[in-house]
Amino acid sequence: MTELLSIVFAPGFFTSEPVRTAAVIGAAAAIVSGVVGVFTVIRGQSFAGHSLADVSSAGGAAAFLLGINPLLGFLGMSVLAATSMELVRVDRASERDLVTGIVTGAGLGLAALLFYLDVTTSSTTGATVTVMFGSMFAIPASIVPLALIVGIGALAAVGMLYRPLLLCSLDPDLAAVQGVPVRLIGLLHLIVVALAVALAAITVGAVLSTGLLIGPAAIALHLARRPGLAVLTAAAIGVAATWGGILIAYDSYEWTGGHGWPVSFCIVALIFVAYVVIAQARPTRVRPVLGTARTGVASAG
Amino acid sequence: MKQLPVITALMILFAAGPLGIVAAEAAGPVKAIGVENEYADVISQIGGKFVKVEAIVSDPNTDPHSFEASPKIAKQFAAADLIVKNGVGYDEWADKIIAAAARPKRKVIDVQQLLGLPDSTPNPHLWYDPKTMPAVAKAVGDALAEVDPAHAADFHANADKFIASLEPWNAAIAAFKAKHNKTPIAATEPVANYLLEAMGFDILTPFSLQKAIMDGNDPAPQDVTTQNNLFTGGKVKAFAYNQQVTSALTKSFLDLAKKNGIPVVGVYETMPTPGYTYQSWMLAEVAALDKAVTEKVSTETLQKGH
Repeated sequence: MTELLSIVFAPGFFTSEPVRTAAVIGAAAAIVSGVVGVFTVIRGQSFAGHSLADVSSAGGAAAFLLGINPLLGFLGMSVLAATSMELVRVDRASERDLVTGIVTGAGLGLAALLFYLDVTTSSTTGATVTVMFGSMFAIPASIVPLALIVGIGALAAVGMLYRPLLLCSLDPDLAAVQGVPVRLIGLLHLIVVALAVALAAITVGAVLSTGLLIGPAAIALHLARRPGLAVLTAAAIGVAATWGGILIAYDSYEWTGGHGWPVSFCIVALIFVAYVVIAQARPTRVRPVLGTARTGVASAG
Repeated sequence: MKQLPVITALMILFAAGPLGIVAAEAAGPVKAIGVENEYADVISQIGGKFVKVEAIVSDPNTDPHSFEASPKIAKQFAAADLIVKNGVGYDEWADKIIAAAARPKRKVIDVQQLLGLPDSTPNPHLWYDPKTMPAVAKAVGDALAEVDPAHAADFHANADKFIASLEPWNAAIAAFKAKHNKTPIAATEPVANYLLEAMGFDILTPFSLQKAIMDGNDPAPQDVTTQNNLFTGGKVKAFAYNQQVTSALTKSFLDLAKKNGIPVVGVYETMPTPGYTYQSWMLAEVAALDKAVTEKVSTETLQKGH
């Protein structure tokens, strides 16, 4: 039994400080992303979520330039992008995609400039890889408190918004009739997405944070019928994929001759495989329940 | 056929134009580029007043591994008679610029090729190797003598003088090795490894970690733990800290080293400026390492005014 355990968990896994920091921050990011991701998927805002992640990379690059906590950079930029995307009043879904795309392009362009300034004015080795694809085992432990505060804040916000947000997401017309401030809820939701994306960006990187936001939520919506259960399932799947990815990356040291595979790849690969398997095995579970809501969202834009 | 003489005349005129420019240029001082400023320093010591030398990579606050070339640099390269570059992928961008701006009589010294090193050489920081600069100095002297034969004797004499001036450094290395062979040391990145090895240091940091830091890749957590234990367990006598390849990870090592009383020695990708020549820089590094091992005193930076 112990032999089997030592094969699964390579020596030193449980005592390694980089692993511990990665596991804590990764779990916080996965829980928040999973919970927020369920609403994002129901609302059909996956692209907006990805866009916030891309734009947040400019914040990560700026943090290197200013020498501040990178999480603050990601947060600032993604919240700014979320607010500006939601404040541009658009009525058609196609136009919303257009605005999202244009903001994404501008944000990534800004990131390119800031990365250039990073390498030409200061010693910021690996800034681009760290911001875009994450370096979980190099996260300084000093980021943990801020990450936990952001995570708890995001979950508290979702808790307070839960009922109106769910109603707006499933049937915005009914929500409006009942006097729910649909636009305000939409803005608050996107800001919470921005918090989730910033947390995910610090772990798996800005570009890959979509994987953590959308993947576990999509899998959960295949498995669970009730939204409340889907939220819990998504969080659990996210944490499982993150910890599984950390373990695979840690163990990969043994079979790659001491190089090791990037954690971000391992996490996103696990999520992808899980989605393909679940979508094949249970293709129709969730559609009847959310089917009406989806068309409702589409018509309301 | 009547037009033939006219065409010939035109052709001669066109051909003569560029020749005239070349002739005019050759009259000025020889223009040389040391891609990294340590090579530029060697060229200027050998070329003296007959050579105008420019260094491309010299900012002590940036990481040369992620250098971004600009159009201005392409122009400098196009005008140069002699270019000295490191090679081993360290300044690959320079190969492209050199190839794009062809110049028939230009000399290019690639230090990697000069030393006969394969492309797979794991540590590109050749200038810290005591064997490197004597070979570079000789090659620079020969190249300058070919470009400007009128001053060949000066260039050869200066090259010999430069090689002789490395003697105190070599003596300091040998003296340290005789007294402190196999002293355990940690590093962030392989920049000074050739010097550390010549001094007899035992570098305990896993090379895979040094390479991950150099390339800005994900470090393996096992390696991070190994490195942390070197500091917390007091297993090393000094910590060679690359001041130009820094990240959150290298800073966490720096904090840990200080917390555990491990003396820190700043090492560099490019020659710290102002106030150093290649020789005085290398001597200062050996002196700082010696001070760390014998007196437990840190020399975090060699930059003057810090």
